[in-house]
Amino acid sequence: MSTPMRSGIVPLLLVLAVAHSPAQAPGTDTDPKEALQELLSKALTVTVSARVLPPDTQEETPVWNAESTKLTLPGRSIKVRLDGENVRIYLICTPYLQDDGDVLLLAQGQVWFTESQDKENRYFSTFYSIPVSFGEKVLFFPLGLSDADAQQKNHFNIEVEIKIVPYEKKQ
Amino acid sequence: MDETRHLLKEEEDQQWRAPMERVRRRILAHVPRERERVSAWKRQVSLPLPVAALAAALLLTFGVTLAVLATRTNMGYIRVTKAPAGGTEYQFAVPYDKVEALLKSMGGADANIESVMTIPKSVKLIPVGEPRMGKANDFLRKKQ
Repeated sequence: MSTPMRSGIVPLLLVLAVAHSPAQAPGTDTDPKEALQELLSKALTVTVSARVLPPDTQEETPVWNAESTKLTLPGRSIKVRLDGENVRIYLICTPYLQDDGDVLLLAQGQVWFTESQDKENRYFSTFYSIPVSFGEKVLFFPLGLSDADAQQKNHFNIEVEIKIVPYEKKQ
Repeated sequence: MDETRHLLKEEEDQQWRAPMERVRRRILAHVPRERERVSAWKRQVSLPLPVAALAAALLLTFGVTLAVLATRTNMGYIRVTKAPAGGTEYQFAVPYDKVEALLKSMGGADANIESVMTIPKSVKLIPVGEPRMGKANDFLRKKQ
């Protein structure tokens, strides 16, 4: 006798369970304005400076330099591409905030290089995970770090500097 | 003449009057009676209890949702959920490109994901080794 009644209650309970389920999600919801403020407080400014240094180590003035400042969120990668006559360099940086307040920088470098003589292409790919403090500089040498031998051959060297600081809203 | 008329009259009665009367009664018997008008407020509908409960639950859910939406006009853009383990989860009730739009509104053109720097053609670069990356202080120490 109770079967029809029971079969009628089950869908009702299911509906109520579905309607109630969002409130059972773990965690605490924050006001959207506070959420936006918190999001802004987590935003990061990534500055990438590239410079070509002369062969002479005594000369500090770069032959060429360029800078790019990117705004991002922790976990969102930024990408910088350097285009040269015979080289193309990709730098992909993904900063992560650590529990201690520092930043873990995941950086991937890709270098495409074309030999001028035989038109042979060379490709390098590197991946680094570097814990850094805010403002601490990270250097990337996509074509290697020139040694004394390279300096004697008057080879230019390219250097990319990465710096991450917290985003501060412009007033 | 009178006799003929009388005969015709009798014959008419015999042939037409009785069937006509039957038809008339039949028609009268099937004329729909005028229905009594019942007010809509007095009409009643019977529903099975589960259907009624389901409808009530749905109405309640819609009502609560509508009330929440009406009171929180700016809800749904971003929600930050603090997980019990201490992590922070950002939930965006918007597509990813809207997040990009948010970042652009904060950082202008600098918020684009990719930027391109063009090295002058006069600069001929040659690989002198493997790509290297590290903290600037580490490289300075090695140079010293």
